[in-house]
Amino acid sequence: MPKLSLLGLNHTTAPLEVREKLAFNAQQQSAALAQFRQKFTSSEMILISTCNRVEMYAATDAQGEPGIRQMIEFLAEFHDVPSSTFADHIYQKADREVVEHLFSVASSLDSMVLGETQILGQVRQAYESARAAQLAGPVLHPLFQRAISVGKQVMHQTPLAEGRVSVASVAVEYARNIFEHFGDKTVLAIGAGKMSELVLQGYVSLGAGKLLVCNRTADKAQELAAQFKGQSVAFEKLAEHLVAADIVVSSTGAAHPIITRTMFDGLLRQRRYRPIFLIDIAVPRDIEPAVGEIENVYLYNLDDLQEVVSRTQAQRKDAVAAARAIINAQLEDYLASQRQRELGPAIQQLYTRYHQIAQEELARTLNKLPNVSEAERAHLEDLARRIVNKLLHDPIQVLRRTDEMHLPASQYLHALEKLFQLDALSSDQNDSAPPTLPPDSEDGQAP
Amino acid sequence: MPDVPGTGQLVLLYAAAGIFTLALLFSLLRFFNAEKTSLRTTAKVCIYLGILMGIAVITWRALNRHSWLPLDDNFDALIWLGLLLALFLTYMQRAHPLGGLDLFLLPIVVLVLVLAGIFGRTKPRAYLETTWSLTHLIAAFGGVVAFAVAAAGGVMYLVKSQQLRRKKMLSGQGLGSLERIEHLTFVSVSLGFALLTVGLVTGLVRAIDTHGHNSLGPDWYRNPKVLLAFIAWIVYALVLHSPINPSFRGRRAAILSVVGFVLMIGTVVAVQYMPSH
Repeated sequence: MPKLSLLGLNHTTAPLEVREKLAFNAQQQSAALAQFRQKFTSSEMILISTCNRVEMYAATDAQGEPGIRQMIEFLAEFHDVPSSTFADHIYQKADREVVEHLFSVASSLDSMVLGETQILGQVRQAYESARAAQLAGPVLHPLFQRAISVGKQVMHQTPLAEGRVSVASVAVEYARNIFEHFGDKTVLAIGAGKMSELVLQGYVSLGAGKLLVCNRTADKAQELAAQFKGQSVAFEKLAEHLVAADIVVSSTGAAHPIITRTMFDGLLRQRRYRPIFLIDIAVPRDIEPAVGEIENVYLYNLDDLQEVVSRTQAQRKDAVAAARAIINAQLEDYLASQRQRELGPAIQQLYTRYHQIAQEELARTLNKLPNVSEAERAHLEDLARRIVNKLLHDPIQVLRRTDEMHLPASQYLHALEKLFQLDALSSDQNDSAPPTLPPDSEDGQAP
Repeated sequence: MPDVPGTGQLVLLYAAAGIFTLALLFSLLRFFNAEKTSLRTTAKVCIYLGILMGIAVITWRALNRHSWLPLDDNFDALIWLGLLLALFLTYMQRAHPLGGLDLFLLPIVVLVLVLAGIFGRTKPRAYLETTWSLTHLIAAFGGVVAFAVAAAGGVMYLVKSQQLRRKKMLSGQGLGSLERIEHLTFVSVSLGFALLTVGLVTGLVRAIDTHGHNSLGPDWYRNPKVLLAFIAWIVYALVLHSPINPSFRGRRAAILSVVGFVLMIGTVVAVQYMPSH
């Protein structure tokens, strides 16, 4: 029976310095999935890596691999960092908790920014990558499908996404603390990804005077700049653009800082010591933390935005409660469907076996009663069917409620197979047509 | 010669200072509970009440002295200074609200009123002998009002800057943007600097002109109030030259604005204890 497990760390458990060491960019993610598949051939794995979290969802194989220890080792080996550097920051979950956590993640309830929709896309992307690597199997495939569906439901049916606070809006709120007017300000976006687009949108709505987009790939920069009537500028002349900029938003996928203290020190005089607001939302970070120590330089990274976000989260308790209600309902429904999937064949076998016995005994009795009319025969057949259904009703109900009683369905399933010798029946039936469940009876005791 | 303030006038003055202190407390509470509009209203009522009480003291004194120009001595002048600051605050609250300004201006108002109460007990002196004296006094006190606002702006800038550096945004209304606070400080310093310059020049002319000789004595340039005023003038000149030398902008300018105001207060005190002859 496969077991679900999760190993992860996020913005609440690990500081940015730790998260950036374990983050996977797109290429690394593909490589990691390939390595995992090579190492654990019959396990499933989906890897979510965003600015705020790194999470490995695994469905273990018959040998129970990978265990949590193996997952930790995998992470450490892949990134070539000692496991001691992040061991204190990780969390691990199993089975039901994994499902609940994933639903919360997909619904943005576990995000730094409540109601943000990006995470749903990131969960979907992680699932697609795993599917492409043939690592999303019968356990993780339905789980992630359901998680994506839950995320959508929460976004559409709760006020969580309405007036949501995104990283972009938080960045704009912070900028208002430094600048009063934006018409004479220059905003520089480094990186032309979705995040840059969102932030630029925020500053355009504030009436920013000039927008510059700087990206290694010039085409992308031009495309984004055109969208906001801005100007694309050469990445190689980044220092020059920093002199002109009042607000800088950096979100590249660079592995090392692209703005260093030494570089910035040399720009201060040219900037005439004007205040500058630097927002580093890249993981790993694009701007050396030491830059933030310079006079009139205000540097914020992802973790720094937590303050504003936590304030808005406190104000949105109703929306969170509505989202939680959906998640809980979906969680129960999903677990019930999973139990049904696990127990369904066994229950079907049980009904088939006992209805067969009843039919055999009925036939034997009818043979001894030669004058039974068709109507009486039908009554007797109905009697036999109802006795079997009533006898099986209670044990089947208990089986279906195993999760409510915090008991693993597999234990009951194993006992069921042994007590009623379903193993033998199963092997007999493998050669014949699949059994069908008895139709709903009027006394409502069909499975 | 103006009279020494009476006990009733002093009691009313200290009551006004108490009311402004209450306004400060309510403003503080409102700062951390922005949703409670009743606190805001109460703080405003206290400020208006304090202003009325201050005007009542001035009027009472004027009736006693049969003089309606409330600059005869430092008692009157300091009360006016406090009232002008409070009036400036109410104007800002109504026309150009700047979050937290009341938290930084009201302590100065209270301080100035208490100083008036203390100096009011000293022997009064007549100031308004000539037009030079009147110009000197109006310019000097106008400068102090402007510098008080600049000092409040300076402290606000430092607090806000520190908040942003520590990445701890205060809950509630919050202070205004750094850019706005810096602008307020710069405009106040510019105005104060112009008035202080006029005050310094007219003060020196008045000192010479009064009796045909220099009333500050031959070593007038060593006189503490002249020295303090001149040092303050230099300090504010440094703040004002920040557009030319931008390394003086931001925190440095804010600190200098506070230092300058401390020097100005020192000058006011020096005027009391080291009067010209």
